[in-house]
Amino acid sequence: MAVFVQQLLNGLKIGSVYALVALGYTMVYGIIKLINFAHGDFIMVGAYTLVFTIPLMVASGMPAWTAVIFAVVACVAVGVGVEKVAYKPVREKGNRMSALITAVAMSLFLENLAQVLFGASPKTVSNIFKISNITVGGVTLNGNTIITIIIGVVVMLVLQAFVQNTKMGRAMRAVSEDREASILAGIKVNQTITLTFAIGSGLAAIASLMYCAAYPQAMPTMGSMLGLKAFVAAVLGGIGIVPGAMIGGLVIGLVESLSKAYLTTLTGGVLTSAFSDAIVFGILIVVLLIKPAGILGKDVGEKV
Amino acid sequence: MKKIFAAIVAASMVMAICAGCGAKDKVGEVASDAKQTAEEVKEEVEEAVADDGETIKIGIVAGVTGPTAVYGVAAQDGMLLAFDEINANGGILGKQVEVIKYDDKGDPTESCNAFNKLDGEGVCAVLGPITSGVCAAVAPIANDVGLVMLTATGTADTLTTADDYVFRACFADSYQGKKAAQFAAQELGVKDVAIIYASGDAYSAGCCDAFEAAAAEYGLNIVAKEGSATTDDTDFSAQLTTIANSGAEALFAPYYYNAVGPYIVPQAREAGFTGPIIGADGYDGTLTTMIEDKSIYNDIYFTNHYSPEDPSDTVQNFVKNFSDEYGTDYLNAFSALGYDAAYMLAQAIEEAGTTDRAAIRDAIAAINFSGVTGSFTLDETGTPLKSVPIITFKDGEQVFYTMLEN
Repeated sequence: MAVFVQQLLNGLKIGSVYALVALGYTMVYGIIKLINFAHGDFIMVGAYTLVFTIPLMVASGMPAWTAVIFAVVACVAVGVGVEKVAYKPVREKGNRMSALITAVAMSLFLENLAQVLFGASPKTVSNIFKISNITVGGVTLNGNTIITIIIGVVVMLVLQAFVQNTKMGRAMRAVSEDREASILAGIKVNQTITLTFAIGSGLAAIASLMYCAAYPQAMPTMGSMLGLKAFVAAVLGGIGIVPGAMIGGLVIGLVESLSKAYLTTLTGGVLTSAFSDAIVFGILIVVLLIKPAGILGKDVGEKV
Repeated sequence: MKKIFAAIVAASMVMAICAGCGAKDKVGEVASDAKQTAEEVKEEVEEAVADDGETIKIGIVAGVTGPTAVYGVAAQDGMLLAFDEINANGGILGKQVEVIKYDDKGDPTESCNAFNKLDGEGVCAVLGPITSGVCAAVAPIANDVGLVMLTATGTADTLTTADDYVFRACFADSYQGKKAAQFAAQELGVKDVAIIYASGDAYSAGCCDAFEAAAAEYGLNIVAKEGSATTDDTDFSAQLTTIANSGAEALFAPYYYNAVGPYIVPQAREAGFTGPIIGADGYDGTLTTMIEDKSIYNDIYFTNHYSPEDPSDTVQNFVKNFSDEYGTDYLNAFSALGYDAAYMLAQAIEEAGTTDRAAIRDAIAAINFSGVTGSFTLDETGTPLKSVPIITFKDGEQVFYTMLEN
């Protein structure tokens, strides 16, 4: 039983990182119907910022996690920059497909730029949280895991409150629902889109802090697999829906962890723990077949 | 204002892209320069040979530019150092060695062309190529034309077969799995072991298979065998939690340093696994990826091709001479293997007493060699059966632990 609880916590740890990254996907998709494939690479930008700023913060006597401020600034700058330079012109001239291709291109661009700037070899991130482990009833709770889960939940709740209750949040939902009508209603659409990118990228920075606390290494391609799994999480929960991303992320994390832990025993060795990624992506296919709109998504007939 | 901002960012992106291209062009330039130099060398060599025929021509094919340049440069530097020493000591069979070297850029096609060129230029044997993939492409040509191909560093199991012209100076991938099992049983004295490996990676899976096969031989019980899809995974906590609760006394984890330092070891300790962790040569480089708390790496052992900390004279001599000549950037297993490959070939030619290609082949097959990377004979396929150094970490330092005799 203690082992099972441990495996659940392992799943929640990576799941809350997926959830935060998925939030970024979902917000951008919700508002401009663009799958921002460069979003995973914003995490990489955040991670490299942490690599270089944590020693600075520690040297100046601040706790290491305060370096997240720099990460947020860097990620927001990159996120808004990408939106202004690449996505906006394409959105105005091209169609949705060309926007998608642009997103893939930006992802490759950021990865290769990082390789040019920082080299291909991985860089170690310094210790972020100094919390000792807690043992409750034979289960060792890792300090990092607990912090990751708590931060994840708090960020999600704050974001949900922001989207539901503030003026800016209402503007975002309005643009998401009907762009033309919101222009008529006096909403500054472009400003709202920029804000969405800024928030999404800021979330990526927080996600990179949590990711680096658990997996302390930065490398140029670190965002691609992470981004893909978070994308699956966003689709699973219902892309465009904030609580959906939370649920999707946690479900994917748990599925991944539990399949790694028990797949070998359950299938009698036919499938091994190495198949967990296949199961995660298998879920994507199943969801697309059975409930294309995702767990929380509503089936809305498209106007033809 | 917005447009200006966009223009600036766009311009800087274009510049970044151009910078990338620039680097590539430069590599191309260097490569073509190298080619030119090689051709000039070749002409000089031909003249020299026409004059007196008093040199022994040996070819080198190594990718000193391109994606695997790091390995190629190291191995080739090792070879060149060895030939410099050999020439300074009077050469082979009383003749000076003429090295003709070509850069294959780590590309199989280029490598085959280079090998054919060397064949036409009448070398008596070829050292190289570097990586297994490239070696696999050149091997059939070597057998066709009957010219010895002695790779220093191609470790894929299938590379060498019986009765052919393909040999190597390094051990094969699977050999390390076997040695790791031997180490666990004989040196650590454990009984119950666990394995975690990347099933989608030839190196990791190969090591795992060999370890499993040898485990039975050495009386080890495998109590848990867990996998990940690739060596690039970042989360192994689920598998390691299972392993920690399986009662295993030691863990065999054939991964590369980029996963070992930040993920495998910290996550294993976090999951509550306190026993020793055993790895293979992929652990070389873990020093650069360790997290702050270095004490968690203290019970880790891995097999390697050689250890610069090995106190023997041969090794210390090589370390000193190589550092003096080329610095320490490329002082690693690859340069040591290149160095040994060159001396192996020299010894074989000396023993054959002639530069006849078939005679050299027979001499290498029967060689009994002692060098920086160990003392060995070759098995029937042409792969060394070596003593293997076991290396461990001590408070963030790499330390020579023991020599595992063959």
